[in-house]
Amino acid sequence: MSHIQVENLSIKFRIYHDKSPSLKDWFANLIKRKHQASHSDFWAVKDVSFEVKAGDRVGIIGHNGAGKSTLLKGLCRVYTPSAGRVSIEGRLAPLLEIGAGFHPEFTGRENIYLNGAILGYTKQQLLEIEPEVIAFSELEEFIDTPVKYYSTGMYMRLAFSLATAMHPDILVLDEVFAGGDAAFMTKAKKRMHDLIDKANIMILVSHDHKLVKLLCNRVIWMDHGKVVADGPPEDVVERYLAGKSNG
Amino acid sequence: MTIANNLFKYLYEIKTYHYSLQQLVRQQLILRYRRTVFGYLWTLLNPILMMSVTAVVFSALFKVDLKTFAIFLFAGMIPWNCFSSMVTQSATSFISNEGLIKKIYLPKLLFPLSICFSVLIDSLLSFVALLIIILVVGGQVSWALLFIPVAFILLFLFSFGIALVISVSTVFFRDLQYVIGVAMQALFFLSPVLYKSSALAGKVAWIVKINPIAAYIELFRAPLDLATMPDPSIIISATIMGFTSLIIGLVFFIKQEQKIVFRL
Repeated sequence: MSHIQVENLSIKFRIYHDKSPSLKDWFANLIKRKHQASHSDFWAVKDVSFEVKAGDRVGIIGHNGAGKSTLLKGLCRVYTPSAGRVSIEGRLAPLLEIGAGFHPEFTGRENIYLNGAILGYTKQQLLEIEPEVIAFSELEEFIDTPVKYYSTGMYMRLAFSLATAMHPDILVLDEVFAGGDAAFMTKAKKRMHDLIDKANIMILVSHDHKLVKLLCNRVIWMDHGKVVADGPPEDVVERYLAGKSNG
Repeated sequence: MTIANNLFKYLYEIKTYHYSLQQLVRQQLILRYRRTVFGYLWTLLNPILMMSVTAVVFSALFKVDLKTFAIFLFAGMIPWNCFSSMVTQSATSFISNEGLIKKIYLPKLLFPLSICFSVLIDSLLSFVALLIIILVVGGQVSWALLFIPVAFILLFLFSFGIALVISVSTVFFRDLQYVIGVAMQALFFLSPVLYKSSALAGKVAWIVKINPIAAYIELFRAPLDLATMPDPSIIISATIMGFTSLIIGLVFFIKQEQKIVFRL
């Protein structure tokens, strides 16, 4: 059974006012022994705690810059916590950035293996899913062409097909319902819903409130790095839209 | 010991990511010469051509026999090129993978490690090509050649430790990527690659004496040029320096690793 426990998670960024510190500045600071604040701290996620149990479909909503994506990246270990803890049971697949790790000079087929390896698939798994990925992306003709010659749509199709080829226990999504022509979109949506149905836990960041209400059984509203509300979708989305924080 | 614990946890994690590592190394090896006529052959041709030019010029300059000097030079250039490429290329390993690191979790060690492995593979192949040339030109074959694999391992340990420190430091101080180029050039002339370690006199002689690269060059030069085993004292000091460098590199890396993504 999959399970996610987030305890007092905080993720801090440093904002440098002028530039990144050079060697010269570093030595200068050593000698001066007086640290002027050349940077300020920014808490993208501040003291967030929640627990996600098997079967949960969690939607995360909030304004731009509320810390939603940073929180997801915290769950996926891209950012390490500045404070607090994240513990995860179950195989987690991040679908944060489809096509990250694609190399333009590599052919479609080579990228299946390169990007697949980066996504954490084993060689055996990749050998198994390769034909299905190629078929679903409808790229049979171009699979041995470097992806830099692909159109945006073709690129998206390959990346999407690969990223959704395996069924993870925990699915983490950051607005990925896009790309391809109408026919592919329909196919892709079906595959996506299939993936969500089979996942033990799903966490979705989205600005599409209808979609969140449709897919999720629980919604977390974030603002300025903090959890404002956490509860049933209808309720939380309603309050978010009304712009109130405490009922 | 938390550091020892971390280290084991770390190596275990790298093991689970071995397929990613393999793919990253493959990417390094394949991409460089894709769409060139000679393709991967350039990896072999490039050092051979460079060294041949150097051999012709410097044998004339030093007024020594070209064949003898060529063997002497090749034996010194192999470890030098391996060391220098590992350190220089690792320096930008995080900066050039910024996009990936900010999107997907991968053990950060994979980036410098994949570069160092690909440089090592390149070096091994160009060593084989040079060995053939050395034998054709009239180098001596001896049992001492069997020491070369050990020499490569020790050289790798030493260079990898330094590469780790440089790769992380470059993220914090971007100026380093340019400093490295100049520093490597200086170190090249202060290392006994073009000349015998005993040949340099005067104010800078002591630098060559304490230069750790000199020991690794000797590990290659004794079997290839003199057809003898390296001096045991040199083997011992190269081993100690190799492991020291590796341990310092890993400890430094593990301590700084989590800051990398925030500083890219």
